[in-house]
Amino acid sequence: MASTLANRTKLITRHLTTAAKSIMSDAKHPITLYTAQTPNGVKVSILLEELGLPYNVRTISFDKTEQKEPWFLEINPNGRIPALTDSSFDNGKGINLMESGCILQYLVETYDKDHKISYPHGTAEYWDVQQWVYFQNAGVGPMQGQANHFYRYAPEKIPYGINRYQTETARLYGVLNTRLEQQAKKGSGFLVGDKLTIADITTYGWVRSAGWAGIDIENFPALKKWEELLDEREGFKKGRDVPTPSRIKEMAKDEEAAKREAAKASAWIMKKD
Amino acid sequence: MSSPQFTLYAHIGPNPWKVVFLLEELGLTYKLAHVDTSKNEHKEAPYVLLNPNGRMPTLVDHHNNDFAIWESGAIMLYLIEKYDTQKKLSFEKFESEALAKQYLMFQMSGQGPYFGQAVWFEVYHPEKVPSASDRYMAEIKRIVTVLNTILEGRNWLVEDKCSYADLSFIPWMWLFDWPVMKMSNWREVPEYKNVVRWYDAMEAMECVKKTKEIRATEFKMPSS
Repeated sequence: MASTLANRTKLITRHLTTAAKSIMSDAKHPITLYTAQTPNGVKVSILLEELGLPYNVRTISFDKTEQKEPWFLEINPNGRIPALTDSSFDNGKGINLMESGCILQYLVETYDKDHKISYPHGTAEYWDVQQWVYFQNAGVGPMQGQANHFYRYAPEKIPYGINRYQTETARLYGVLNTRLEQQAKKGSGFLVGDKLTIADITTYGWVRSAGWAGIDIENFPALKKWEELLDEREGFKKGRDVPTPSRIKEMAKDEEAAKREAAKASAWIMKKD
Repeated sequence: MSSPQFTLYAHIGPNPWKVVFLLEELGLTYKLAHVDTSKNEHKEAPYVLLNPNGRMPTLVDHHNNDFAIWESGAIMLYLIEKYDTQKKLSFEKFESEALAKQYLMFQMSGQGPYFGQAVWFEVYHPEKVPSASDRYMAEIKRIVTVLNTILEGRNWLVEDKCSYADLSFIPWMWLFDWPVMKMSNWREVPEYKNVVRWYDAMEAMECVKKTKEIRATEFKMPSS
């Protein structure tokens, strides 16, 4: 019995190792980002660009439902993007990570040792970053995502659903706007402390997509100013166009293009998983 | 007797209780400050001066210059990293910690928000919106099956030990045992069998039992 189990374990391990190797065979760098052109995907590419880290990009096609393929579920059992693998981790043992917020934390803790865009572990600013990262990942992202669903993708127009999630998204934007007004009084243009952190990076892609959720950024002047400040950074310019150029702002303004895009996205979003 | 080290601002909802599990399990002294949402206290000073988002929980550490921190996930990490020096609910290995944080983020961004929407449309929203109900009920079932896959052949999410990552999922799972959610047969569903085993193991823990008692006695349970 015990030996059978040991054999099975060996077989499974061999299978997993082969699978991992075949995925990584064309990888030039230790870090691979599995992504698509979405607010959660660009968080990670923006951070990698800001840190100047080389990485491989593997585009995940939603049209082909690649996010549900067994090889990808091995990396991310939740079947969502982004995911990140780092083969250099733990002396070459490697690590697979899901959840954009966690990936950002992992990358700064592992690769931003001189705190270019982070604060030392355990400082007040460190904890401040954590709470704003969670605020985005548990609040802004999920709620704005629901606003997108009811405003753009749901086959049936449900005014209550649209209103509920647009109102909550606007409330959360108000919290960000107030925070940035307070930060401006201290002479900072960023959410935490006096420099760029992952709190800004995690939030940016969603604020940039405000129009897609039917939220007017003009109602949040401090937030708009913050977005424009980040727009100009090289890391943001490069990172937001991974894996394909970001067109969300243009699309939100062009009603016809928006309808076409929403219909296309709706087709796979409404697929049962 | 000296005054407690922490004040935890709480309400009946699921999120404060994740923090109480840790305070109990780590043997830290605390008092609960009941934020009365029916009086809109969560939206007004003094509470919003501590937490600009006007949501619960918020933790104040009186042994650290009244340091205040909000978002339950950030609070959990603060308590673990500062006060779990014995690694009772956390890990020595950086890799294991990276994975525990990954699961905590999955709880915060996946389980919490979607369970929250499901209970809204199933129970609280005055009007029936079947497509919205179906959307969120399907999503919470999907999340539980993802947990079930992760727990296949293992007792806990990370290493072979219950950690803060496991405990963070418990309060929202309570919804499955809440009759109005019509999920009470979930224990018999084969796709959830690993989750049932994992959930029951945590429900039997002293810190969880004690937390549930406090929640039931000090905070009024909503009628179901």
